[in-house]
Amino acid sequence: MNAAALYFVNGMESETSAIARGLRRRDPDLLDRLIEQYQHRLLRYLTYLTGHRELAEDLFQETWIRVLERGHQYDGKHEFSTWLFSVARHLCIDSMRKKNPVSLDGLLDDSNDARAPLDPVDIRPSALEMIAQHEHADRINAALTCIAAEYREAVVLRFQEGLTLDEIAAVTGAPLGTIKSRLYRGLNLLMPLLKGAQA
Amino acid sequence: MTRDVHQQAQEWIALTGVDGLGLDDAQQSQLQTHLRECDSCRGYADATSQVVRSLRSVPMAATPVLVRRTQARVRQHAQLLRQQRERLWMVGIACAGIGFSASVTIPIMWKVFSWLGNWAGVSSPVWETGFGIFVIAPALLVSVLLLARGRHLTDDAGRWRS
Repeated sequence: MNAAALYFVNGMESETSAIARGLRRRDPDLLDRLIEQYQHRLLRYLTYLTGHRELAEDLFQETWIRVLERGHQYDGKHEFSTWLFSVARHLCIDSMRKKNPVSLDGLLDDSNDARAPLDPVDIRPSALEMIAQHEHADRINAALTCIAAEYREAVVLRFQEGLTLDEIAAVTGAPLGTIKSRLYRGLNLLMPLLKGAQA
Repeated sequence: MTRDVHQQAQEWIALTGVDGLGLDDAQQSQLQTHLRECDSCRGYADATSQVVRSLRSVPMAATPVLVRRTQARVRQHAQLLRQQRERLWMVGIACAGIGFSASVTIPIMWKVFSWLGNWAGVSSPVWETGFGIFVIAPALLVSVLLLARGRHLTDDAGRWRS
Protein backbone atom coordinates (compact mmCIF):
# COMPACT_ATOMS: atom_id res chain seq x y z
CA MET A 1 0.00 0.00 0.00
CA ASN A 2 1.48 3.33 -0.99
CA ALA A 3 1.73 6.33 1.32
CA ALA A 4 -1.27 8.16 -0.13
CA ALA A 5 -3.52 5.11 0.16
CA LEU A 6 -2.28 4.49 3.70
CA TYR A 7 -2.98 8.11 4.61
CA PHE A 8 -6.48 7.83 3.13
CA VAL A 9 -7.25 4.57 4.95
CA ASN A 10 -5.93 5.93 8.27
CA GLY A 11 -7.92 9.11 7.78
CA MET A 12 -11.09 7.16 7.11
CA GLU A 13 -10.49 4.92 10.13
CA SER A 14 -9.94 7.87 12.42
CA GLU A 15 -13.12 9.49 11.16
CA THR A 16 -15.22 6.35 11.56
CA SER A 17 -13.68 5.77 15.00
CA ALA A 18 -14.61 9.31 15.98
CA ILE A 19 -18.16 8.67 14.79
CA ALA A 20 -18.30 5.40 16.76
CA ARG A 21 -17.07 7.15 19.92
CA GLY A 22 -19.59 9.96 19.45
CA LEU A 23 -22.43 7.51 18.90
CA ARG A 24 -21.52 5.64 22.06
CA ARG A 25 -21.71 8.95 23.94
CA ARG A 26 -24.94 9.81 22.09
CA ASP A 27 -23.39 13.12 21.21
CA PRO A 28 -26.24 15.29 19.86
CA ASP A 29 -23.90 17.62 17.97
CA LEU A 30 -22.36 14.70 16.13
CA LEU A 31 -25.82 13.39 15.26
CA ASP A 32 -26.84 16.81 13.94
CA ARG A 33 -23.78 16.81 11.72
CA LEU A 34 -24.38 13.26 10.51
CA ILE A 35 -28.02 14.00 9.71
CA GLU A 36 -26.95 16.93 7.58
CA GLN A 37 -24.12 15.02 5.96
CA TYR A 38 -26.16 11.96 4.97
CA GLN A 39 -29.57 13.58 4.49
CA HIS A 40 -29.75 13.29 0.71
CA ARG A 41 -28.20 9.87 0.35
CA LEU A 42 -30.36 8.32 3.05
CA LEU A 43 -33.58 9.86 1.82
CA ARG A 44 -32.83 8.87 -1.77
CA TYR A 45 -32.11 5.29 -0.71
CA LEU A 46 -35.29 5.08 1.38
CA THR A 47 -37.39 6.67 -1.34
CA TYR A 48 -36.22 4.22 -3.96
CA LEU A 49 -36.55 1.33 -1.54
CA THR A 50 -40.10 2.14 -0.47
CA GLY A 51 -41.32 3.83 -3.62
CA HIS A 52 -43.09 6.46 -1.50
CA ARG A 53 -41.65 9.80 -0.56
CA GLU A 54 -43.83 10.30 2.53
CA LEU A 55 -43.05 6.87 3.93
CA ALA A 56 -39.40 7.46 3.18
CA GLU A 57 -39.48 10.72 5.17
CA ASP A 58 -41.04 8.93 8.16
CA LEU A 59 -38.43 6.20 7.94
CA PHE A 60 -35.73 8.83 7.58
CA GLN A 61 -36.61 10.18 11.03
CA GLU A 62 -37.00 6.72 12.53
CA THR A 63 -33.62 5.72 11.15
CA TRP A 64 -31.88 8.51 13.04
CA ILE A 65 -33.76 7.67 16.22
CA ARG A 66 -32.56 4.07 15.79
CA VAL A 67 -29.02 5.32 15.15
CA LEU A 68 -29.22 7.22 18.44
CA GLU A 69 -30.52 4.20 20.34
CA ARG A 70 -28.19 1.61 18.83
CA GLY A 71 -25.20 3.76 18.03
CA HIS A 72 -23.07 1.66 20.38
CA GLN A 73 -23.41 -1.21 17.89
CA TYR A 74 -21.43 0.67 15.25
CA ASP A 75 -17.83 -0.50 15.60
CA GLY A 76 -16.15 2.20 13.52
CA LYS A 77 -14.27 -0.36 11.46
CA HIS A 78 -16.45 0.08 8.39
CA GLU A 79 -17.91 3.02 6.55
CA PHE A 80 -20.63 4.71 8.56
CA SER A 81 -22.85 4.93 5.48
CA THR A 82 -22.86 1.13 5.16
CA TRP A 83 -24.10 0.74 8.72
CA LEU A 84 -26.58 3.58 8.28
CA PHE A 85 -28.10 2.03 5.16
CA SER A 86 -28.30 -1.30 6.95
CA VAL A 87 -30.23 0.28 9.84
CA ALA A 88 -32.53 2.04 7.37
CA ARG A 89 -33.11 -1.15 5.45
CA HIS A 90 -34.13 -3.09 8.55
CA LEU A 91 -36.53 -0.35 9.55
CA CYS A 92 -37.96 -0.35 6.06
CA ILE A 93 -38.52 -4.10 6.15
CA ASP A 94 -40.12 -3.84 9.61
CA SER A 95 -42.39 -1.09 8.37
CA MET A 96 -43.46 -3.03 5.29
CA ARG A 97 -43.97 -6.14 7.39
CA LYS A 98 -46.34 -4.26 9.68
CA LYS A 99 -48.31 -2.94 6.73
CA ASN A 100 -48.35 -6.13 4.75
CA PRO A 101 -47.41 -9.27 6.69
CA VAL A 102 -45.80 -11.48 4.09
CA SER A 103 -42.71 -13.66 4.07
CA LEU A 104 -39.32 -12.01 4.40
CA ASP A 105 -38.36 -12.91 0.85
CA GLY A 106 -41.45 -11.24 -0.47
CA LEU A 107 -41.02 -8.03 1.46
CA LEU A 108 -39.02 -6.32 -1.18
CA ASP A 109 -40.81 -7.92 -4.09
CA ASP A 110 -43.37 -5.30 -4.99
CA SER A 111 -43.59 -6.31 -8.63
CA ASN A 112 -47.34 -6.87 -8.33
CA ASP A 113 -48.08 -3.77 -6.29
CA ALA A 114 -49.68 -0.71 -7.70
CA ARG A 115 -46.74 1.65 -7.70
CA ALA A 116 -46.95 5.21 -6.60
CA PRO A 117 -44.63 7.47 -8.52
CA LEU A 118 -41.55 8.58 -6.67
CA ASP A 119 -41.44 12.19 -5.76
CA PRO A 120 -38.03 13.66 -6.35
CA VAL A 121 -37.23 17.16 -5.28
CA ASP A 122 -36.06 19.04 -8.33
CA ILE A 123 -33.83 22.04 -8.32
CA ARG A 124 -35.08 23.85 -11.39
CA PRO A 125 -34.09 27.28 -12.54
CA SER A 126 -36.74 27.81 -15.20
CA ALA A 127 -40.23 26.64 -16.15
CA LEU A 128 -39.13 24.86 -19.31
CA GLU A 129 -36.27 23.14 -17.58
CA MET A 130 -38.61 22.31 -14.76
CA ILE A 131 -40.98 20.52 -17.09
CA ALA A 132 -38.17 18.73 -18.90
CA GLN A 133 -36.50 17.65 -15.69
CA HIS A 134 -39.76 16.56 -14.19
CA GLU A 135 -40.55 14.39 -17.19
CA HIS A 136 -37.06 13.00 -17.15
CA ALA A 137 -37.25 12.22 -13.42
CA ASP A 138 -40.68 10.67 -13.86
CA ARG A 139 -39.40 8.43 -16.58
CA ILE A 140 -36.44 7.24 -14.55
CA ASN A 141 -38.54 6.73 -11.46
CA ALA A 142 -41.14 4.82 -13.44
CA ALA A 143 -38.39 2.63 -14.84
CA LEU A 144 -36.96 1.99 -11.39
CA THR A 145 -40.32 1.07 -9.92
CA CYS A 146 -40.86 -1.37 -12.77
CA ILE A 147 -38.08 -3.64 -11.57
CA ALA A 148 -38.22 -5.77 -8.44
CA ALA A 149 -37.14 -4.00 -5.26
CA GLU A 150 -34.11 -6.19 -4.59
CA TYR A 151 -32.73 -5.34 -8.05
CA ARG A 152 -33.63 -1.69 -7.59
CA GLU A 153 -31.89 -1.61 -4.24
CA ALA A 154 -28.69 -3.13 -5.63
CA VAL A 155 -28.64 -0.75 -8.61
CA VAL A 156 -29.33 2.33 -6.46
CA LEU A 157 -26.71 1.43 -3.88
CA ARG A 158 -24.11 0.69 -6.54
CA PHE A 159 -24.64 3.41 -9.09
CA GLN A 160 -26.29 6.20 -7.12
CA GLU A 161 -24.68 5.81 -3.72
CA GLY A 162 -21.40 4.48 -5.03
CA LEU A 163 -21.14 1.61 -2.57
CA THR A 164 -18.78 -1.25 -3.34
CA LEU A 165 -20.14 -4.74 -3.86
CA ASP A 166 -18.87 -5.79 -0.42
CA GLU A 167 -20.60 -2.81 1.17
CA ILE A 168 -23.86 -3.64 -0.59
CA ALA A 169 -23.56 -7.20 0.68
CA ALA A 170 -23.04 -5.83 4.19
CA VAL A 171 -26.06 -3.53 3.93
CA THR A 172 -28.42 -6.15 2.55
CA GLY A 173 -27.01 -9.15 4.37
CA ALA A 174 -27.00 -11.07 1.10
CA PRO A 175 -24.03 -13.07 -0.22
CA LEU A 176 -21.71 -11.34 -2.67
CA GLY A 177 -22.76 -13.67 -5.49
CA THR A 178 -26.39 -12.75 -4.97
CA ILE A 179 -25.54 -9.06 -5.08
CA LYS A 180 -23.63 -9.50 -8.33
CA SER A 181 -26.53 -11.37 -9.82
CA ARG A 182 -29.06 -8.74 -8.68
CA LEU A 183 -26.93 -5.95 -10.04
CA TYR A 184 -26.42 -7.62 -13.39
CA ARG A 185 -30.07 -8.53 -13.78
CA GLY A 186 -31.28 -5.17 -12.49
CA LEU A 187 -29.10 -3.31 -14.95
CA ASN A 188 -30.26 -5.52 -17.81
CA LEU A 189 -33.87 -4.90 -16.84
CA LEU A 190 -33.32 -1.15 -16.67
CA MET A 191 -31.55 -0.83 -20.00
CA PRO A 192 -34.57 -1.20 -22.28
CA LEU A 193 -36.66 0.91 -19.91
CA LEU A 194 -34.20 3.77 -19.92
CA LYS A 195 -33.24 3.57 -23.56
CA GLY A 196 -33.00 7.11 -24.91
CA ALA A 197 -33.37 8.72 -21.49
CA GLN A 198 -30.81 11.50 -21.23
CA ALA A 199 -30.40 14.05 -18.49
CA MET B 1 -15.10 -14.97 -29.40
CA THR B 2 -17.32 -17.37 -27.55
CA ARG B 3 -20.56 -16.40 -25.88
CA ASP B 4 -18.91 -16.86 -22.49
CA VAL B 5 -16.37 -14.14 -23.26
CA HIS B 6 -19.14 -11.69 -24.12
CA GLN B 7 -21.09 -12.64 -21.05
CA GLN B 8 -18.00 -12.27 -18.88
CA ALA B 9 -17.29 -8.84 -20.33
CA GLN B 10 -20.86 -7.71 -19.79
CA GLU B 11 -20.84 -8.94 -16.20
CA TRP B 12 -17.63 -7.02 -15.55
CA ILE B 13 -19.18 -3.90 -17.06
CA ALA B 14 -22.36 -4.30 -15.01
CA LEU B 15 -20.48 -4.86 -11.78
CA THR B 16 -17.68 -2.35 -12.09
CA GLY B 17 -18.77 0.17 -14.70
CA VAL B 18 -17.31 0.79 -18.12
CA ASP B 19 -13.92 1.91 -16.77
CA GLY B 20 -13.52 -1.44 -15.04
CA LEU B 21 -12.60 0.02 -11.68
CA GLY B 22 -12.41 -2.82 -9.19
CA LEU B 23 -11.01 -5.30 -11.70
CA ASP B 24 -7.40 -6.35 -11.48
CA ASP B 25 -4.98 -5.17 -14.17
CA ALA B 26 -5.22 -8.32 -16.27
CA GLN B 27 -9.03 -8.29 -16.24
CA GLN B 28 -9.13 -4.59 -17.04
CA SER B 29 -6.78 -5.06 -19.95
CA GLN B 30 -8.82 -8.04 -21.17
CA LEU B 31 -12.02 -6.00 -20.94
CA GLN B 32 -10.62 -2.99 -22.80
CA THR B 33 -9.19 -5.22 -25.54
CA HIS B 34 -12.51 -6.98 -25.90
CA LEU B 35 -14.42 -3.69 -26.04
CA ARG B 36 -12.19 -2.47 -28.88
CA GLU B 37 -13.00 -5.59 -30.88
CA CYS B 38 -16.64 -6.28 -30.03
CA ASP B 39 -19.41 -3.95 -31.20
CA SER B 40 -22.06 -5.77 -29.19
CA CYS B 41 -20.25 -5.42 -25.87
CA ARG B 42 -19.30 -1.83 -26.67
CA GLY B 43 -23.00 -1.17 -27.19
CA TYR B 44 -23.70 -2.82 -23.84
CA ALA B 45 -21.07 -0.61 -22.21
CA ASP B 46 -22.63 2.50 -23.74
CA ALA B 47 -26.07 1.42 -22.55
CA THR B 48 -24.67 0.84 -19.06
CA SER B 49 -23.11 4.29 -19.06
CA GLN B 50 -26.42 5.77 -20.10
CA VAL B 51 -28.29 3.99 -17.31
CA VAL B 52 -25.76 5.14 -14.74
CA ARG B 53 -25.84 8.73 -16.05
CA SER B 54 -29.63 8.70 -15.99
CA LEU B 55 -29.76 7.40 -12.43
CA ARG B 56 -27.32 10.03 -11.25
CA SER B 57 -29.17 12.81 -13.03
CA VAL B 58 -32.28 12.67 -10.85
CA PRO B 59 -31.96 15.15 -7.99
CA MET B 60 -33.56 13.98 -4.79
CA ALA B 61 -32.93 16.12 -1.76
CA ALA B 62 -34.16 16.15 1.79
CA THR B 63 -35.92 19.39 2.62
CA PRO B 64 -34.48 21.67 5.34
CA VAL B 65 -37.74 21.23 7.26
CA LEU B 66 -37.30 17.47 7.35
CA VAL B 67 -33.70 17.80 8.47
CA ARG B 68 -34.56 20.27 11.24
CA ARG B 69 -37.50 18.18 12.40
CA THR B 70 -35.32 15.08 12.50
CA GLN B 71 -32.59 16.86 14.43
CA ALA B 72 -35.12 18.15 16.94
CA ARG B 73 -36.65 14.69 17.38
CA VAL B 74 -33.25 13.11 17.85
CA ARG B 75 -32.24 15.68 20.47
CA GLN B 76 -35.53 15.22 22.30
CA HIS B 77 -35.14 11.45 22.25
CA ALA B 78 -31.53 11.75 23.41
CA GLN B 79 -32.70 13.77 26.41
CA LEU B 80 -35.34 11.16 27.22
CA LEU B 81 -32.75 8.37 27.03
CA ARG B 82 -30.40 10.37 29.27
CA GLN B 83 -33.15 10.80 31.87
CA GLN B 84 -33.92 7.09 31.77
CA ARG B 85 -30.26 6.31 32.20
CA GLU B 86 -29.94 8.68 35.16
CA ARG B 87 -32.98 7.07 36.75
CA LEU B 88 -31.46 3.63 36.31
CA TRP B 89 -28.26 4.87 37.96
CA MET B 90 -30.25 6.21 40.91
CA VAL B 91 -32.06 2.90 41.32
CA GLY B 92 -28.76 1.03 41.06
CA ILE B 93 -27.09 3.22 43.66
CA ALA B 94 -30.10 2.87 45.97
CA CYS B 95 -30.04 -0.92 45.62
CA ALA B 96 -26.31 -1.04 46.36
CA GLY B 97 -26.79 1.18 49.41
CA ILE B 98 -29.64 -0.93 50.70
CA GLY B 99 -27.67 -4.13 50.15
CA PHE B 100 -24.65 -2.79 51.99
CA SER B 101 -26.74 -1.43 54.83
CA ALA B 102 -28.63 -4.71 55.17
CA SER B 103 -25.48 -6.81 55.22
CA VAL B 104 -24.14 -4.69 58.08
CA THR B 105 -27.28 -4.24 60.17
CA ILE B 106 -28.98 -7.66 59.84
CA PRO B 107 -26.36 -9.66 61.82
CA ILE B 108 -26.38 -6.98 64.53
CA MET B 109 -30.18 -6.90 64.71
CA TRP B 110 -30.25 -10.71 64.81
CA LYS B 111 -28.07 -10.65 67.90
CA VAL B 112 -30.21 -7.88 69.44
CA PHE B 113 -33.43 -9.86 68.83
CA SER B 114 -31.79 -12.99 70.20
CA TRP B 115 -30.75 -11.15 73.36
CA LEU B 116 -34.22 -9.56 73.71
CA GLY B 117 -35.88 -12.99 73.23
CA ASN B 118 -33.71 -14.51 75.96
CA TRP B 119 -34.28 -11.52 78.26
CA ALA B 120 -38.09 -11.67 77.75
CA GLY B 121 -38.06 -15.47 78.04
CA VAL B 122 -39.85 -16.15 74.72
CA SER B 123 -39.15 -19.14 72.50
CA SER B 124 -36.86 -18.89 69.50
CA PRO B 125 -39.64 -19.08 66.81
CA VAL B 126 -41.35 -16.09 68.41
CA TRP B 127 -38.40 -13.71 68.42
CA GLU B 128 -37.31 -15.05 65.01
CA THR B 129 -40.78 -14.20 63.62
CA GLY B 130 -40.54 -10.77 65.18
CA PHE B 131 -37.17 -10.31 63.60
CA GLY B 132 -38.61 -11.33 60.20
CA ILE B 133 -41.43 -8.78 60.47
CA PHE B 134 -38.95 -6.12 61.60
CA VAL B 135 -36.79 -6.78 58.52
CA ILE B 136 -39.58 -7.11 55.96
CA ALA B 137 -41.85 -4.26 57.07
CA PRO B 138 -39.50 -1.38 56.08
CA ALA B 139 -38.73 -3.09 52.78
CA LEU B 140 -42.45 -3.34 52.02
CA LEU B 141 -42.96 0.28 52.97
CA VAL B 142 -40.06 1.42 50.78
CA SER B 143 -41.35 -0.70 47.88
CA VAL B 144 -44.75 0.96 48.06
CA LEU B 145 -43.14 4.39 48.22
CA LEU B 146 -40.85 3.59 45.28
CA LEU B 147 -43.76 2.33 43.21
CA ALA B 148 -45.68 5.53 43.94
CA ARG B 149 -42.60 7.58 43.08
CA GLY B 150 -42.07 5.57 39.90
CA ARG B 151 -45.62 6.24 38.74
CA HIS B 152 -45.12 9.90 39.47
CA LEU B 153 -41.96 9.95 37.33
CA THR B 154 -43.70 8.11 34.50
CA ASP B 155 -46.48 10.66 34.54
CA ASP B 156 -43.89 13.42 34.44
CA ALA B 157 -42.13 11.81 31.49
CA GLY B 158 -45.44 11.47 29.68
CA ARG B 159 -46.20 15.14 30.20
CA TRP B 160 -42.70 16.08 29.05
CA ARG B 161 -42.99 14.01 25.89
CA SER B 162 -46.31 15.52 24.97
